[in-house]
This record gives sequence, structure tokens and C-alpha cells, in this order.
Amino acid sequence: MMTQTKQAYFSQLFLTTNYSYSELLGVDGNLQAHWHIFFESLKSLGQSEIEDRSRDILRLLKENGVTYNIYDDPFGLNRPWNLDIIPFLISIDEWKKIEPGLKQRATLLDLILKDIYGERQLIKTGLLPAELIYNHSGFLRQCVGIKPNNKHSLILYSADLARSADGNIWVLNDRTQAPSGYGYALENRAAMSRINPELFNGLKVRQLSSYFNDLQASLQEIAPYQKENPRVVILTPGPSNETYFEHSYLSSYMGFTLVQGDDLMVRDNYVWLKTIGGLEKVDVILRRVDDIYCDPLELKSDSQLGVPGLLQAIRSGNVSIANPLGSSVLENPGLMLFLQNIARHFFNTDLILPTIASWWCGQPKELQYVLNNIDKLVIKRIFRNTVASSNSIDVALLTKEKITLLKEAIKTHPHLFVGQEKVAFASSPSLVNGIIEPRNALFRSFLVSNNNGYTAMAGGLTRTSSRKDNMLISNQLGGISKDTWIISQNKDNNVHHRKELFKTITPALIGVLPSHTAENLFWVGRYAERLLGNARFQRTVMQSVTESNQSLVDDDVETEQILLRALTNFTFTYPGFIEEDTKDTWVELKAILFDIKRNGSMSNNCLQFSRSVYAVSNQWSIDTWRVLRMMEEDWMTASNANLTHFKMISSLDSLITSMVAFIGLNRESISREQGWIMLDMGRKIEQSLLLIRMLRATLVSYTNDDVAYNLQEAVLKSNEALVNYRYKYRVPIQLPLVLELLLLDPNNPRSLMHQLDKIKNYFSQLPKPSKSDQLSEHERLILEAHTLVKLAGKEQLSILNKEHFEYEHLSDFLGKIYNLLSVIPEAISKTYFKHAQSQKQLFTADM
Amino acid sequence: MHYKITHTTEYTYAGSISLCHNIAMLIPRDTNNQQRIKTAIKIIPEPDVMKEYDDFFGNKVLYFAIQHQHKKLSVSVTNDIKKNITPSLPINLCSNIPWEKARLQLFESRPDFIDARQYIAETGMTTIDEQITLYALQSFTPKRPMFEAAKDLMQRIYKDFKFDPDFSTVSTPVSEVMRVKRGVCQDFAHLAIACLRSLGLPARYVSGYIETLPPLGKIKLVGVDASHAWFAVFIPNLGWMDFDPTNNQMPGDQHITIGWGRDYADISPLKGVILSSGSHKLRVSVDVRRIQY
Repeated sequence: MMTQTKQAYFSQLFLTTNYSYSELLGVDGNLQAHWHIFFESLKSLGQSEIEDRSRDILRLLKENGVTYNIYDDPFGLNRPWNLDIIPFLISIDEWKKIEPGLKQRATLLDLILKDIYGERQLIKTGLLPAELIYNHSGFLRQCVGIKPNNKHSLILYSADLARSADGNIWVLNDRTQAPSGYGYALENRAAMSRINPELFNGLKVRQLSSYFNDLQASLQEIAPYQKENPRVVILTPGPSNETYFEHSYLSSYMGFTLVQGDDLMVRDNYVWLKTIGGLEKVDVILRRVDDIYCDPLELKSDSQLGVPGLLQAIRSGNVSIANPLGSSVLENPGLMLFLQNIARHFFNTDLILPTIASWWCGQPKELQYVLNNIDKLVIKRIFRNTVASSNSIDVALLTKEKITLLKEAIKTHPHLFVGQEKVAFASSPSLVNGIIEPRNALFRSFLVSNNNGYTAMAGGLTRTSSRKDNMLISNQLGGISKDTWIISQNKDNNVHHRKELFKTITPALIGVLPSHTAENLFWVGRYAERLLGNARFQRTVMQSVTESNQSLVDDDVETEQILLRALTNFTFTYPGFIEEDTKDTWVELKAILFDIKRNGSMSNNCLQFSRSVYAVSNQWSIDTWRVLRMMEEDWMTASNANLTHFKMISSLDSLITSMVAFIGLNRESISREQGWIMLDMGRKIEQSLLLIRMLRATLVSYTNDDVAYNLQEAVLKSNEALVNYRYKYRVPIQLPLVLELLLLDPNNPRSLMHQLDKIKNYFSQLPKPSKSDQLSEHERLILEAHTLVKLAGKEQLSILNKEHFEYEHLSDFLGKIYNLLSVIPEAISKTYFKHAQSQKQLFTADM
Repeated sequence: MHYKITHTTEYTYAGSISLCHNIAMLIPRDTNNQQRIKTAIKIIPEPDVMKEYDDFFGNKVLYFAIQHQHKKLSVSVTNDIKKNITPSLPINLCSNIPWEKARLQLFESRPDFIDARQYIAETGMTTIDEQITLYALQSFTPKRPMFEAAKDLMQRIYKDFKFDPDFSTVSTPVSEVMRVKRGVCQDFAHLAIACLRSLGLPARYVSGYIETLPPLGKIKLVGVDASHAWFAVFIPNLGWMDFDPTNNQMPGDQHITIGWGRDYADISPLKGVILSSGSHKLRVSVDVRRIQY
């Protein structure tokens, strides 16, 4: 129990309970020195400042794009990361026990992995039961006999640790397949040291960043044939994966290209990266794709996330993969109880870190024990059923019927289940809604191999449960993270403290552009321009509607009707105003803005834009993220509020401002070469298509001169060309000049001619798909469109067919160009993105 | 006895294919009553990469990749196989061990038992349900000798199920086969394996060929045979025993084994991945012919 003074001390800290923070107390029962120092610093901030800081932390993480995706939740994509202001503290004395324990465990698991996929002596000698390995879904028979390219098979290792009430540290889980979390750990530290530098006062906190240098070195070291300057790629399942933020973050931080399965291919038993400039050999793959998804030829045949033939390349020794395929066999709670004996077998010593008492049901005696004591245990499967599901069951929380079912399942497949003793964990103080509450904490450590052994990150990622009494901690269940501080008070320690070197995350300035990234950048450009174009036109239309409400002039009403129909055509939000009796103009106008379920609406386009932006999130600078977050927030706020007409127009204003800022920032920061070409090419194509659509919807038909004047003015306004027109021509608005300015004038940056010039120029800068002199499809298309515009005359386009009330030359001309331009994206996709073809399986059946 | 077996698979694609990866398991392994004399492999167009190796189970694997444009792929493998005439085994002497006892005995620490035990767990293609277990228990009555029970299971499948090439696909689940009581050799093998595994007994999937004889007085046509499959069960002290539920017989001289695995997925004759935007047509022909040396 706490002494009187300490209780007083805690109550000063707006504590509401006198909960015993056993983990804060030393063996003598006094508050540990580092906690004392930390709480003093925290206290000196004061309650309101602490709350402010907590908000700042969240804001910073959000602005930096730190997110975590929740599966099966429509709003789960890009969920902001949550960080507690109170860190998880580990004293240097404690760390001195943990670190060697982790290294020993990594070394041991590496030996076991090599044995399982090599001689399998451990099984033959009975140190490992065959069922535990052979029945595990992670044991990939296809990988047996593959020789590692290096000393270690296990390159990355993570362990989930927890402190029990008596102060011991226990290993709860091993992560050996594609450990995640180290990127989040570094972002947590960055946020803490930027926002709360004072909290580090008087505490010597070990730094994290050297771990990333070790990781980078290790990945380069494992390249086949000791190749110098190997190409390392990070293989991601894609933007909807739960930790996609981290994949993209690591790519930027370490300078490794981020790729998806179909960016890679196997030829001649080597792995190649498809770039828009051709094939580039890949030497090392850091994979974040689960092993059975990695090769549809030999593993999961319907996987679209892998690379067909990858295992052949691995078998040939031409590519190294971290961690090797098949390493998930070690993520096996059943293994725990055999580790002690295997450690004695290999090292002649005991395990340094204790393992929780476990009973593997594949043995008759153990099975009986588990069945008899089931309500006191945690039951785990030896492997996870699905990625998202937890494999731990706290039996005490189950109903009687569920327990009976569980017992039956265990009896049917005993070798798939493990019973584990429930350990009373020490709680960790957490700031929840302004008060400090005790929470269970799980600490994930990170290790990476090198030539001599393993290095551990001096820190890690701590997560706490989302509710007070919850034992299970999972990001999927909405836990909160903590920075993890390893504290040394020893003054003569040589380790550098506090001064953490955070690399500024710059957009990926990598020489090659994977075709996937290229495609996404192209779409970012198209959606950006579509948002801008739609916003500008709708703003013009809404202004016109507002104004014509005040006048009762017939022409204005007529103009309004034409513009509304044009808006429907322009945004593809049919039937909209094309339908005869659209009930309420403003209801429909609002829906075109904010109805996210409606194709073509502004909100829907925002969503598509966000998706493509997020899919290439390693391309954006911090400043760009800030603009994007702001835009998202403003738009969300606007769409949830009940806005006046004026406020609706203002919401478009701020969207336009953000979009312009987004494009401007990228012009400065995105990698100058092919990446920018792709994005800007997407913009120019979209701009051309939008312009033509707008002219076709407004200027091709003729009503009377006054209406025509109004429409031409509206079109100039929507294209930000009204001032330009007045400045250039100094005469009233007339069709030939409007067409000259918007279509033919190469010096007007908004004209069709200008866009086509740019597109043509970009095409000439792209790598040639074949060596022949023949034009590619997209080059032919742009040449034809370009020539048509060049040959067009403003007077001829302005000839009115008085019978049909139509400018038929203009109509034909616009139609022709539109048809040419609208197939260009497909032609580019075929040549440069190469995703038009899908992967198919061939098989035959036995009769 | 000698056989010459030619197995030809032809894919015709709707469009042009620039890259394909394939794995063929068409080269028979040697067994205690079968020996491979020679193999001729003919692949058109000629593969750019080709590699032969043994898999985890000891089966022969042929990997090949074609990295240039092609519209058609033809894989033809011809094997000369020598079958040793198997004397009928003195089954009764050692096969009287009841299946429950055999199941217990398997957990003795012997290398062949350890190896056999990996064939007990259900797999994606041999999922177990109550119907399967009940069906199995009708053959595996208490204390019945394991060999006898397995043979009875084979006979019952032959009797209760209708051979129907139009009914199933590669991915028809055994529960569906059990419900409709129709299928092809692959389904019957999977079904039997699921039955045995539901009782905790080791069973494996065997892929191979069977010699078919033309009706009396007719000449055998070329290419009318098909690849075949059956199951084997592990009986302690007796080893792996093969059963063919499609033909209701213990495979002997007329069965040629290619290899085995836990189910079809471990030993499918030919599989591949292509990048394509269109469909493809498939033609398979198998010819099993007795030859004189």
C-alpha cells in the first residue's frame, strides 16, 4: 500500500482513485526515482496544459498522416493514431534483464526456424512434437530445403511483453512473420519530443533511431551474392492494410521503394520491379504480406497480393526476403512450453525471459488438465484463423454454452489448442479523459539481425487496453498507444540521450517509379482537377441562381435553367436537373455537393481523391498532409452542418483554396521527374475533358443573344478567364473570342491548346515502350487532337445553324476531340501501368 | 510389365500471353513396385526457364516459365514405367490390428509414424463434418481390423456413389459430394481421406494413371485415358496401403503412381499462373499403353 505522503502526491495529480500502481514502486515500496521525476515534470505543466498538450499530440500525429486502418469498418480507413501523454517507463536495470533475454530468444527462434525448414532434428529427437509444426498453417512444405542466403533466417523479430504484478517481465507473443509497429514507435517518440520536451527533463531516455540504421544495414547485408548497393523494396498488401501508414512511412524513412505484388514479376528466376522505364532487378524484399499470399503459383492460388514464381526465385537464391516465407510457423503459442528444453539443448542454459505456464493439448495429460481447469485459463489456438481475429480466449468471460462448445472443439482437434495460465498484470498509469487511470499495458519490442547476432530497439511500442478491465489489447479493438522510455540514470553511461535524430520525411525521391505508384499519381492528378473544375463550375452556377432569384428577367431564368442542366451533364449526376420536375433547386444543389453516396457528387469525388492520395502517401510532404487534413476536416464540417446558400458557396471557396495549395505544394516537392509528369499529365487530361464537357453543355445550343452572353460569361468565370478576356480583348463578350481564348490560344494556361501542348510534351519525356519508330497509341491520339485544334478557326467554329439553333461545327469539333482524349488514359494504362491484365490460374483435374 | 504413358495438356488462349509460370507433377516417382525407366518432356513453345526438383513429399516437380509471347501452350510428358508384379500380400497375418489400437500405436516415436501423422489433420479439400464421420463409422465399427475397415469403406463408396464427370469441379467440397453422392475419382479419394481423418487415421491422396482396356474385340483408341487418383491409408507395421474407390480395387499392376500428398492441392498434375485479359481453352489427353520389351 502507498504511504500517506504518496497518496497526497498522487491526489495532487488529479487522481480520482487510490489505486495501487505497483509498477511505479520499487522493491522498497517507494515510488521509483524515474517515475518521481516524470510526475514532477508532468505536475509542473498543470492540468489544463496537459490537456492542451494531449490535443496537440493528436493533432500533430493526424497532420503527419499517422493512421491505422480498422477492418470491416466503413469509417475505419485512415483512423488517426492515438497516443497517451504518459509514457511506459522501463528502468535501465530492468532493461539489462530484458535485452539479453530478447536476444537469446531471437537467436533460439532463428535456430528452430532453420531446423524446421532444414533437417528437422528437433522433431526427430522429440524436442518438438511433429503435430505442433506439421499441423500449423504457417508450416509451408514448399519452403522446406530452401537455404538461407545468410547466417540468420529470422531477420526481424518482435515480442509482446508484459509486466506481472510481482515485477516480472513475461513474453506473451512472438512475432516472426512481418512484425509491425516500429514505425509507429518512432512517430510516437517524435510527437512526444516535439510537444513535450520538458517531460524528458532529468531523465536519460535511450534513443530509438539507431534501430532504423541497423534495420537498413541488415536488409542491405542480406542481399544475395553480397551485392553492393542492393535494391531493397517493401512489399505491401496495399492501402487498405491495417498498418499501411507504416509501410509507406518506412519506405520514405529508409529510402526503399514501396511496391505491391503486381509491381513485381519473376523472370529468369530473378525478381524484377516494373517501372514505367522498364524492369529493375530486386535483391531484397521486406515483406508486409503474409507468407501464404506471397506466391499464387505455389501457395494460396487465388492471392492477388503476391508475385507468381517468387518461391522459384527464392529457391534459386536470387532474392532474399525478410522474414523468409514460412516463418509464421513460429507464431505458435504451443511452441512456448518446448522452448525451455530446446534452449538447454542448443545453449546449455535456461531461458532468461520466463514463459507463461502453458499446456499444449496435443499431449493426453495436458489435454486433461486443460479440460479440467478450463475456466481458470486463457485458451489460444496454435495459429490465428484470420488476420483480424484474436487467437486468445479468456474462458472466464464465456457463457456455459460457449465453454461446452470450446471443450468440444478442443477434444476434436486437441493439437490445435493451448491453455495458458492467467497472469495478474501490473497496470500502467494512463491519462484518459483528463484523469489518470490504471490500464493493462503490452510492450512490443523490436529486434533485427546482424552478422554477430541481434540488436534490440532501445524502446518499443506500448499499447494499453481500450477499457479498464480488458485483458485483450489490440489496435483492432481500439487501444491507445504509449511512447516507451528506457531510462538510465547512470551518469557515466556513454549512450547519447534525448538528442534523437529524426529524419525529415521527404517525399520518396527514388529514381524509379513503380507502375502502381505512377498510376495512382495519374489519378490523383485527375481527381484534383475534377474537384477543382466541379467546384468552380458549381460555384458559378450557384452564384447565378442566387442572383437570378432577385431579378425576374426571363433571360436570367432561362440562363439559370440551362446552367443547372449543364451542371448535371458536367458532373455526371444524372438525372438531376435533366429531369423535368426537379422539386427544389437548392436541395439538388446541396445533394450534388454533399451526398457521398451519389456518383459524381463533390463528396464522392473527395473520397475518390483521398483514396488515390492515400495509396501513394509516401509521395507527400508534411506540409501537403496538413493541407489535405484541413481540406478533409473543413469539408466534413460543411457537409454535416445546415448551411445557408452563402455558406455553401464559401465551402466551395475553401475547397478550391486547399486544392490550389495542394497542387502548388506538389509542384515544389514531389519528385521532379516521372512522378510529377504522371500527376500533371493526369491533371491536363482531366482539365481538357472538363473544358470540353462544359462548352458542350453550355455553348453549343443557341437560345438568344442575351442568354448566350450570360452563358459565355459564366463559362469564362468558371475557367478563371473573365479578367483575362477583358484585359486581352477590351470588347464585350462574343463567341469567337471566347472560343479563341478557351480553345485555341496556347498562351492562356487554361486553354485546351495549352493542355494539349503540355500533354504532348510529357508524352515525349516518357520512356519509349518499344524501340521502333512507330508512334504508340497515346502518342497518335494526342497528335491527332493537337493537329485538329491547331487547324481550327474561331470564325468557322462560331457559325450558327439557324434552323437547329446550334453551332454544329463547334459541336462536331468538340465531339471529335473528346473522343480522342477520352481513350488516352486507357492507352497510357496499357503501356505504362500494365494492370489491365489480371492474373489467372491454370489447372487440370484428376478424373 | 512395362507401360508407356503420354500425358498431353494444351491451353489455347484468347489473346497473346507474355509470361506464364507453371508447375507440373507429371514425372512418376519410384515406389516399391514401380520404376521409372525414362522420361521425355516436350513443351511448346520452348520454356525459357526449366527446373526439376523433389518436393517435401519426395515427388518429382517440374517448374517452367515461358517469357515470350505465345497464344498456345502444349505440355507433353511421356514416361516409360516398369511395374513389378506384386504378389498378393499375406494381409491377414499382420492386418488384424483393430483400428482403434492402430490409432494409438501411431503415437509411438518412430520416424515412419511421425511422418504418417502429418496426414491426419484435415485440409482445405478434406474438411470433416458430422455426415462424413457418421459415414466412416459405418465401416469402422468397434475393434474391426483396420485393413478390413478401410477396404469396406472403399467398397461402400464404390457402391453408394455415382461416377459423374459433369457434376463436380476441382473445388467441389466433399460435403457436397457426400450430399449428392456423385463425383469423379478426385472426389471419391478426398471423401475417403476425409472419412479416415475424421477418425484420427492417416490417409493420403495418390495421383497417377490407370490402364483401361477397350471393350472386347475393339482396338484401344489413343488418348482416351485420363489422369487418375485414389487414396492410401497408413496401417502400423504394414505401411501405406492403396485403395481405389472409383474402381473398387486395390491398385496393382494397372495403376501407375505419379506421387502423393495431403490432398489434390499438393500434387495437382499441372498448374500455372498467367497474366491475361481473356479466357482460355483446355484440352487434355492421356494415353496409357502396355509395351513389350
